[in-house]
Amino acid sequence: MSLLAADDHVRLPSWVILRFDRVRGRHVLLAPERVLFPCPTTVTVLERLGAEGRRLADLADELAAEFDAPREEILADVIGVLEELARGCLLEIRRSGHDRVGTRAA
Amino acid sequence: MTASAPVPPEPVEPPIGLLAELTHRCPLQCPYCSNPVELVRRGNELDTATWISVLDQAAELGVLQVHLSGGEPALREDLEEIVARAVAAGLYTNLVTSAVGVDADRLARLRDRGLHHVQISFQDVTEEGVTRIGRAPGALARKIALAEAAVRLGLPWTLNAVLHRHNLDRVERFLELALELGAHRIELANVQYYGWGFVNRAALMPTPAQLERFRTVLERAARELAGRLAIDYVIPDYYARYPKPCMNGWGRAVMVVAPDGRVLPCHAAHVIEGLEFPQVRAMPLREIWYRSAAFAAFRGTGWMREPCRSCPRREEDFGGCRCQAAMLLGDPTATDPACSLSPHHAAMRRLAEVESTGEPPAFVYRRFGTRATMRRRELAPLPAD
Repeated sequence: MSLLAADDHVRLPSWVILRFDRVRGRHVLLAPERVLFPCPTTVTVLERLGAEGRRLADLADELAAEFDAPREEILADVIGVLEELARGCLLEIRRSGHDRVGTRAA
Repeated sequence: MTASAPVPPEPVEPPIGLLAELTHRCPLQCPYCSNPVELVRRGNELDTATWISVLDQAAELGVLQVHLSGGEPALREDLEEIVARAVAAGLYTNLVTSAVGVDADRLARLRDRGLHHVQISFQDVTEEGVTRIGRAPGALARKIALAEAAVRLGLPWTLNAVLHRHNLDRVERFLELALELGAHRIELANVQYYGWGFVNRAALMPTPAQLERFRTVLERAARELAGRLAIDYVIPDYYARYPKPCMNGWGRAVMVVAPDGRVLPCHAAHVIEGLEFPQVRAMPLREIWYRSAAFAAFRGTGWMREPCRSCPRREEDFGGCRCQAAMLLGDPTATDPACSLSPHHAAMRRLAEVESTGEPPAFVYRRFGTRATMRRRELAPLPAD
């Protein structure tokens, strides 16, 4: 079962860092005792979450319009790339009607 | 190409992590410490300027994370300065501490300098249990206070539980404690038998039944706590079926800088005779990574013999641990006996079973000046099956 839903408002906690590594010429995602090398799709999704975070449904609307792709497919892709991060407690997730799920806010 | 053709060397990638052992001094005396039995004394430690140069060079070389460890890194009065420089260099900075020597105020100062994450060791879940291992009375209360301070400061923290026959049955309580104290992550690390842990192996080895139970708890926890608590775990090599990908491959991802400036591919690599470990005071880190004989010695797969050489897993586990092969078989090029394909595997497991079910000997506590080397030499090499 997925930990994420379209209505969730998601962002990276302040201590999970996405940055471009000039030595390797690619983006890296740095977290406690973990180094991930995200694929370009994941990088796009993470960058668009921004510091304030996004509702995943809104992000899917935006990407669907921009890439002229079916919105439901885009939403599934967005949730797909974020799922592993959610399971590893590397996302801050706010769900309407709940205080907070997933990793605690920093 | 035939199976016996030489394997072409792969290009060497930049290192990902740097383990900076800032000092071997420690207020605790844990008998499973992975530091070498011959500890580096204070007078031989690198000074602040050299550590700063090491961090700058590491970032330049492509290192992404630094783990400030020890001993107890908080015993370095220049820890704040070291953290600030690591962060300024762009390194994701982890502090690995016993919490003895870091109070809430100091953690706040480290956070203000950009520290990203703190890992706090929990020797056990009761004050009595922690004191039995660490010999620093009152340490558990300090650990709990530091964990609470980390949460208040918005710093993610890891509960590092080191597990063995005396506390493995309390694994659920370790998990509860991590949840109660708001940990981001828990490391359920069974003792690895290196350094002082090797000397104390018979006193620490869990029984097969204990380990079986641990696996059951772990499976349930991974299922139930996904998204709430990040869980990493380590099982004892002696009960493994395949070896761990030690350090993610020799000279492939990590470099270790010892307190005296020697640079090693693994913190246990001192046990391999005939390797000369380069010195950061004498050689640039880049040259050590790309050019030194010590880092090239077991890099890639070219050094392997059978059964590793033709094994489909050879680039998953890289033949396991070179140090373990050296310690248990006297040959660092042998397949790690933790591997079920090693001719010594059954003997390794038998040894663990016998030790774990016998009356545990008294601990040899980790201290400067303890004559632990003798006991280590008494540990006989493994026979073949």
